[in-house]
Amino acid sequence: MKLCVSTACMGHGRCYTLAPQLLSSDDEGYVTIRGGDPIDVPDDLQDLAREVEGTCPETAISLIDE
Amino acid sequence: MESSVIAERHGTEVTGCPVLHHDFSSTRELGAYWTLANELRESCPHFYNKYEGGGYWVFTRHEAVKDIYKTPEIFSSESITPWEPDPIYRFVPTQVDAPDHIKYRRILNPWFSPKAMEAAAPVMRDICRGFIRPIVSKGSCDFIEEFALRFPTAAFLTVIGVPISYTDLFTGWVDAFFGGFGGDPEGAEGMARALGEMRDFWTKQLDDRRGGPMREGDLFSYLLNSTFDDKPIGDDVLLDMCTVLTLAGLDTTRAELGYMFHHLALHPEHRQALIDDPEIIPLAVEETLRYYTIIFGDGRKVTRDTEFHGVQLKKGDMVYGLVSGANRDPRHWEQADEFVIDRKKNNHFGFASGPHRCLGMHLARREMAIAVDEWLKVIPNFELDTDAQLMERGGGAMMALSTLPLRWEVTS
Repeated sequence: MKLCVSTACMGHGRCYTLAPQLLSSDDEGYVTIRGGDPIDVPDDLQDLAREVEGTCPETAISLIDE
Repeated sequence: MESSVIAERHGTEVTGCPVLHHDFSSTRELGAYWTLANELRESCPHFYNKYEGGGYWVFTRHEAVKDIYKTPEIFSSESITPWEPDPIYRFVPTQVDAPDHIKYRRILNPWFSPKAMEAAAPVMRDICRGFIRPIVSKGSCDFIEEFALRFPTAAFLTVIGVPISYTDLFTGWVDAFFGGFGGDPEGAEGMARALGEMRDFWTKQLDDRRGGPMREGDLFSYLLNSTFDDKPIGDDVLLDMCTVLTLAGLDTTRAELGYMFHHLALHPEHRQALIDDPEIIPLAVEETLRYYTIIFGDGRKVTRDTEFHGVQLKKGDMVYGLVSGANRDPRHWEQADEFVIDRKKNNHFGFASGPHRCLGMHLARREMAIAVDEWLKVIPNFELDTDAQLMERGGGAMMALSTLPLRWEVTS
């Protein structure tokens, strides 16, 4: 599974608060991978990744099942 | 007949929804505004709300509110109060649209970022303890007056570099301003006076710093040294920025804290859950912002004729996204009408969404989390100290409890 954050990210911070193992923030509060390449989600964090996807009010997070 | 007049002046009702006459400024019993939002949402996806001299479209469901926020090019923030399309104040950057909006936000975002709030947290925690300490041995307090009004104000002033001795002055201004914000004509005079006094205060603060060296941890000094399109920010804009920071930063957190502690007073099992596992406090804060959202609705001005969720809108129409309706919409949420203390998929609109999402959200959350954590450490059990019906301010100005009497056993 891969996780991708689009430029719709407005820096609400719910994703990286819920999953600091996967995501972190920049100096303005946006996700560091905003508008960038997808990241790999380890097998044991896939359930968490689904919660992360559902916590974004901008629907900026998408998961790609491989 | 009435709808044909509206069709001519304010767009067309395509699906034949009703014309209503709701006043969202009146004080009601605690919880009445969420009940009203539920009723409005379940009775119609949208309606036209008329007041003397005007009216606006209300969209009651999650999907439409989301789309209003996602389309700022159609739904302008020029006015965010639909009963006042041309307000006497101008919040910057709240009421600024693209392309200038993001330039202001990029100046302010780092100041209120999660990293900045992390750095400020130890000081905020000390301030919080300082307010709780004298209360503990009393065995009772008015939570709003003695804590919720004062802690967020003091924490905010510290974050922007103003001495906390000004706390009481600020709480007075904020109360007076929001007395008029919801459209109640009786509050208009106090609102205007509070705005004037605040501007005088900020003018003096800015003058004191003008031409001086950059002061560390001082927002005004930072703003005076910031540039917009490679030029210093003009005085009028600086004052508009200071005004909105004050108003948005103080009253809102007071209101959310009031509802959160009212909930905890009634739910010992939730107090215990937070004591047993403080890691879920941030989730409980987020659920408070969803379930007890203080934003009844959020207004926008339509920039061009467009059909939107079954309504033909006209340029200049005002719309009102019913955030309180969206945040409990069963079409979107599982267990929509339950407070789920550790809810994880929580994409609520308590801080709005889109480019205008609340600038101070990371500060507000941090204050709420610290308040709950510190309070429960020393007052783990408390309950309501009144049998009287508690009242909330009208949702037009954002709901807030004016009083919350609490009591607890003093152990030592």
